Amino acid sequence: MQYNPTIGIETHVELKTNSKMFCRCKVVDTEEPNVSLCPTCLGLPGALPVPNKKAIEFITLLALSTNCKITKQGMFHRKNYFYPDLPKNYQISQFDLPVGINGSLKIVLNDQEAEVAIERVHMEEDTGKSTHMGTGRIDSATSTALDFNRSGVPLVEIVTKPVLKTSLEAVAYIEELRQLVLDLGISEGKLEKGNLRFDANISVANSESDVLGTKVEIKNMNSLRSLERAIDYEIERQIKALNNGEIIAQETRHWDEGKEVTKPMRSKEGSADYRYFSDPDIPNMVLDEEFVNIIKSKMPKLPYQKRLELMQTGLSIGEANILSKSNDWIVKLFHDVYSTTKNSSSTYNWITGELQGQMRKVEINELPSWFKADSLSEIINLIESNKISFSSGKVILAALLVKNVTPYDVAKEQNLFQENDSEKILQIVKNVITENSEVVVRIKNGEDKLIGFLVGLIIKSSGGSINPSIAKDLLSKELEE
Amino acid sequence: MSNQFDIDNVSKLASIELEETEKNKLSQDLSIILEHVQAISNLEFDISVDEVFIHPLEKQLNLQEDVVEEFLTHEEALSNAPESKDGKFIVPPSME
Amino acid sequence: MRIENKSIREINSLFQKKEIKPSELYKQVFENTAQSESVLHAHLKLFEEDNLNKVKLSDERYIKNKSLGLLDGIPIAIKDNINLKGYETTCSSKMLSNYISPYSATVINKLDEQQVLYTGKTNLDEFAMGSSTENSAYGLTRNPWNTECVPGGSSGGSAASVAARSSIAALGSDTGGSIRQPASFCGLVGFKPTYGTVSRFGLIAFASSLDQIGPITKYVDDTRIIYHSIRGFDPKDATSVSDKPVIIPSNKTAKVGVIKELMEEGVSEDAKNEVEKIIKLLKAQGIEVIEVSLPLIKLAISIYYLIAPAECSANLARFDGVRYGLRADGKTSYEMMERTRAQGFGSEVKRRILLGTYALSAGYFDAYYGKALLARKKMIDEFNQIFKQVDYLISPTTPTQAFKAGEKTSNPLEMYMSDLCTIPANLAGLPSISIPTGLSKEKLPLGVQIISKALTDDSLLDFSEMIEKEVAFKEEPSDWIK
Ligand SMILES: [Mg+2]
Ligand SMILES: [Zn+2]
Repeated sequence: MQYNPTIGIETHVELKTNSKMFCRCKVVDTEEPNVSLCPTCLGLPGALPVPNKKAIEFITLLALSTNCKITKQGMFHRKNYFYPDLPKNYQISQFDLPVGINGSLKIVLNDQEAEVAIERVHMEEDTGKSTHMGTGRIDSATSTALDFNRSGVPLVEIVTKPVLKTSLEAVAYIEELRQLVLDLGISEGKLEKGNLRFDANISVANSESDVLGTKVEIKNMNSLRSLERAIDYEIERQIKALNNGEIIAQETRHWDEGKEVTKPMRSKEGSADYRYFSDPDIPNMVLDEEFVNIIKSKMPKLPYQKRLELMQTGLSIGEANILSKSNDWIVKLFHDVYSTTKNSSSTYNWITGELQGQMRKVEINELPSWFKADSLSEIINLIESNKISFSSGKVILAALLVKNVTPYDVAKEQNLFQENDSEKILQIVKNVITENSEVVVRIKNGEDKLIGFLVGLIIKSSGGSINPSIAKDLLSKELEE
Repeated sequence: MSNQFDIDNVSKLASIELEETEKNKLSQDLSIILEHVQAISNLEFDISVDEVFIHPLEKQLNLQEDVVEEFLTHEEALSNAPESKDGKFIVPPSME
Repeated sequence: MRIENKSIREINSLFQKKEIKPSELYKQVFENTAQSESVLHAHLKLFEEDNLNKVKLSDERYIKNKSLGLLDGIPIAIKDNINLKGYETTCSSKMLSNYISPYSATVINKLDEQQVLYTGKTNLDEFAMGSSTENSAYGLTRNPWNTECVPGGSSGGSAASVAARSSIAALGSDTGGSIRQPASFCGLVGFKPTYGTVSRFGLIAFASSLDQIGPITKYVDDTRIIYHSIRGFDPKDATSVSDKPVIIPSNKTAKVGVIKELMEEGVSEDAKNEVEKIIKLLKAQGIEVIEVSLPLIKLAISIYYLIAPAECSANLARFDGVRYGLRADGKTSYEMMERTRAQGFGSEVKRRILLGTYALSAGYFDAYYGKALLARKKMIDEFNQIFKQVDYLISPTTPTQAFKAGEKTSNPLEMYMSDLCTIPANLAGLPSISIPTGLSKEKLPLGVQIISKALTDDSLLDFSEMIEKEVAFKEEPSDWIK
């Protein structure tokens, strides 16, 4: 039987605000526990929440940039459940009136543009952090230690509709979302720090059926790699189970990074009944047209727009996608270099290949201050006009990364300009033929590979300055005579 | 609507362990109260919950600027902790 | 006249004239407490020793003519659900028996600016849930007028403290009548301000959309002075309002409505007679009084007992033994939390948490909590309509005079009914005051309630002061004197 998987992704994005969502404690990145707390984020008796304006601006930016409809009169709700690292034993979140609904995000999948439908974008607060102590295995912990620094840090939750089909699509979606929050400047976007955390809802259904299968939620995927593997594993697991006539249980499973399997999480008693209700501590939040327009005016260039601009230079969607997910200075460098070279392909190759490779080699993360886009344009133009060889270009680039010189100076100094004058080259070709008559005989007898040997000699005798393709052309002509 | 009060489910949701005698007494009390408030559930209104402002004066939310303030010291934060170690609150294991 | 019977303005003027020192008044109120406390149990904690230095400084300021305002050196009691930095806040619950607050409520910070002297923390129904101050984990409080009777609740300790002259005034909190009902039972002025005009930051929440801090005093002017010093927008409370006070007529041109539904069955003849007495008095002044009807008021108790428990079920979820307060043993966190909450909460608190949990749970939300929200909204609309016709609404504060301790503890619903008249103002966020008007045959105080529209607190106080003058209620309790 044929089965179709359906995937939905819930992503929590930690926002880059100075203070927390409902209090003015600093958002800290430290191992030192319980150092940024107040009565509100520690859930002390009598404390009250007051929402952070910046966080609301950030989520509105995200909702607008994902084409969501903005809810004019939003509300904060209490999501009630008991967990020791949730100080109030309710999480302030949004339920039926989230900031944004019904949006979409353009992604690149298999060198084609695709669109992922977004169900909702809502605001909530993070919980504290639990460390399970004891024997080192969570299932035999003797106690749990709690640090509440993270409690109350603003999170945006972005929920897709159940529309994704493959793990690769899920990965492409997260990559695009990550780039979006970086470009919007609303999150650090570091996966390894948990700035983006994602859960996947996966079901498989008989391909002839038009109802979705039973949904299983997968948690604890900490990287794109584990997202991909967990989804693939889970789809396969469900298909196998269905083929064996088993019924898929609606449950939450945990991705075991070490064993590369999903395992059922021991569910907390009963099914979740969160008893959502509007938080009486927080009046209704009105995001009127005026507010939305101000946010719109702050909208930067979005990743898909960057991609479109790059494609207009002639890059493929795949190249444009890779470049659009690079650092801002790389994209800018591309546009600057392209504006003088008008050659998108070689500009792209030089920037994504040689330049970044050499930078890694000399261990620098940004270009030296003297390095100008014009320098790289000059190198590319010198190669394109045959004034230097490709390998000389690499040499010049290497020099430019360590000292403040111009490509011309380096070429001159290191004698890298090629001899393009056919008359002069012909003279050298003739000399080499005369001096190597027995080789010429062997070539005429069919040993073609010796042509390369002669070209090498020609270039060598010129001190390396001869344009090899011209030398080769002239040599071939001479040999034919 | 009947007032079948599932005391076990409700006490679980509220995270309050109840003894049998307490359960019976509370179920009884709650049935009486629910009987009284029943009048409300039978009413029909021409508005929906989404249209109701949570603030009784129908005020809108004022947001706060994103400015950092210090409030509690580490010591103050832990000053009432029933158990703590290495600057963290300690509780019995939360992973069963 | 004993100084502790005088109004704050009078006392302040005596301080300024150096006829008496704050330390003398301070000593006097604690002498009163020494006589009454063992019988009344109005306080959970007394601060006599703690303030000796503060009193001395207050004395010095008056000597140097540098006092900080009307409340400088005035002894005030604080309900024990309002946080005072460095002191226990127990809410009369075992749950918080040794909890010491690391911060002060906004109202306390405001009173601190005027160097108010706190006499102590007063008893209350556990987490402010109750109408008699019998639901305290630390024992009940008795009514200074008749110690067999309750002082009302939940701010019963605050009311008893002022009535017994253990403090000049007290702060209480009012969610469904918890300031006005005990004030009425104890022959005092009790005022619940417009929702949002006094910050709730640092008040341990019972029901956030209903709670409001307010004063309990002997005189309307004392209430005015305290209200003016604690009100104001607070950036730490998102429900706090920055609107300017609204002024309405408070003299002979005022129009008054008598709430028909609160003059029917369920309200004692005594209580109705007090209202009639005031109506006569108002009419004699040339004030127009008409009967008005607010049909949904009949549902107020039902609305309240869905909304308040629902909010409290979440507000009280934080008491779990993890970060502060009581902790019971348990093999897992979940077991620990369930047992802590079982041991820490009294039965009324459990009853309301479970009721609220149920009203919000899957399948019941729409029929209970959801419907209550809609009914509340409609009731607010009714009030808005009525306030187009009249400036003030008058009713009894309580259906009966103070009842005997133990009389209503067996049937929760009967206890709930004692808030029949006060609950509507909380549901609508309106300012509402109870003023003492007379004594019953049994020598127990009776009062009337006046409600006005949102933000007209100042006018309501002016209007009440006018009635206060006319009524000239001068009785004093005496049962508290050993
Ligand atoms: Mg979430
Ligand atoms: Zn905080």
